[in-house]
Amino acid sequence: MRIPDDFLHYLSAHEDCSERLLFRAKDISAEELDVSIDAEAKRIRKMVRQVQTEVHRMEAFVRLRPLGPCVLYGYLKPRHRIGEIICDFFARRNPQTIVVLGNGHESWISFNYGGEILRKRGAKMAETLEQLKSSFNCSEEGRDVKDIWQAYYDSQYSPCHKSAKSSHKRMPRRDQKAAGLRMVQNKSIVTLDDF
Amino acid sequence: MPMVTLEKIARLAQESRFDSLGPAVDVDPEKLSSLGEGTRYDVCASTHSPRNPNLPGICHSFSHDGRCVSLFKTLYTNYCSHQCNYCTNAANCSRRTATFSYTPQELVGITLSMYRANYIEGLFLSSGSGRNEDHIMERMLETARMLRQKHEFQGYIHLKVLPGASRSHIQEAMELADRVSINLEAASASHMSEMSSTKNYESDILQRQRYIRDLATSENLPAGQTTQLVVGASNECDEEIFKRVLYEYKEIGVRRVYYSAFSPQDGTPFQNNVPQPKWREVRLYQMDWLFRVYHLHPQEIWHAFDENGLLPNADPKMTIARELVDLPVDPNTAPYRELLMVPGIGPRSAKRIIALRKRQAISRKADLASLGVRIKRAAPFLKIGGWRDATLQMWSA
Repeated sequence: MRIPDDFLHYLSAHEDCSERLLFRAKDISAEELDVSIDAEAKRIRKMVRQVQTEVHRMEAFVRLRPLGPCVLYGYLKPRHRIGEIICDFFARRNPQTIVVLGNGHESWISFNYGGEILRKRGAKMAETLEQLKSSFNCSEEGRDVKDIWQAYYDSQYSPCHKSAKSSHKRMPRRDQKAAGLRMVQNKSIVTLDDF
Repeated sequence: MPMVTLEKIARLAQESRFDSLGPAVDVDPEKLSSLGEGTRYDVCASTHSPRNPNLPGICHSFSHDGRCVSLFKTLYTNYCSHQCNYCTNAANCSRRTATFSYTPQELVGITLSMYRANYIEGLFLSSGSGRNEDHIMERMLETARMLRQKHEFQGYIHLKVLPGASRSHIQEAMELADRVSINLEAASASHMSEMSSTKNYESDILQRQRYIRDLATSENLPAGQTTQLVVGASNECDEEIFKRVLYEYKEIGVRRVYYSAFSPQDGTPFQNNVPQPKWREVRLYQMDWLFRVYHLHPQEIWHAFDENGLLPNADPKMTIARELVDLPVDPNTAPYRELLMVPGIGPRSAKRIIALRKRQAISRKADLASLGVRIKRAAPFLKIGGWRDATLQMWSA
């Protein structure tokens, strides 16, 4: 993984990032960081990679469900401060749809309005969803595709190549939990009631 | 950064009136799994597509076999009139299961709903030949056309080109898809004739690959064409595969070749053939990697094969290094090509070593490790601070 030019953005989202470290990191270029063997630079590099990895995994593992015709929502409880990055990613991917991500403590709302992302931070997810339900005057939960997905997913497995180890390595339990997935069956386990 | 009230967002969303529910999907689970199973051995490792803006490669799930499941990978129909001796959908398979077919509407519904729910990056559509190959190809194209044009689908699409597809169908597939592919299956025409009595290697496969090569422009097909081989179904050796792969990369310009170790299927004429070990597939990927990513010369890679033309179950790069790296390599002075020959040093860590040594001398193994070098493998071939580690391991076969 290469260090991106905007690595400060990732570093500042790290759960252990201090003001002091961020200040020090401002003097280092991305190219320098990529090859440096200085202890502090190595630590910064490691932290940037940890955040990049979590961003990548959440973009991959978070599942979305429709709430009425205008909203997609999903569970997200990341270790690092990346809720907004992930929520924006899904908003860009699903134009004209409100994307809500969150958990029992906080929530993020992003909406791609003609290329511009409008954002809102919310309190706990249940409240945000309640508010949206009353704004739209709808309570219907959309169709869930998890059964279709499960039938398809099961068909892709070739038993002669079973390798639980590599599957675990690529879907670490911690990241699955952050995205609300369950290891064994690899399904989305979150329903509206969980919020 | 625009922060607005929730009410305002809700009002704007209501005005744009986009239906996040998508078209209704109601599919027979048996059909889903039968047609899904048909593509189980088709590999598609990356969904990265270099269009503008770039489509990132994301693996949404991993199967229990460790492979990534990030596309809705399916057959359009499992009805097939070809007679391929390794395939359960072939006309000559005695245990053919029930036949199913999708409609373009169904495929569009499933793809869109799973894409919106973030289970997949897009669609990978292959098919049996049906009664009429042209007709099936037309339906596959209609699926892609509906996704792209009617639903403005921005995700990834990979279309298989059926062996008898016409040039105009191929051209349209290239306009709609990120990537297209035709499976080589065999390493040569004679191996193909052992594997299938109905497919003509030259006209059904190589000729269609050349069509794709010739029709490619900077506008269409951002992720290029790929191909896949069934390894070990007809007793071919790895050297034959390598020769074919060189042709594919140099003459056809495929982006990647995928390898799938043969496993015998009940009811097929090949049901009693020996299953190929998974490691053979792994070693072929390593060989492929040395050519495609490391840009080693074929003459260098040739050292990795044994006297029977097979790759032994050992890292080919280590085998090559034992043959070709005579003197210990000094990371402070060695040129890029020499660094790259050392096991445990890849293209990226070789470039990092060169960037770092411009600023300071490299005197410790730990420094190399922090640049991404796999020290345990690399140390016997390196000279660090005037000393080298000589180990017995280096001389053992």
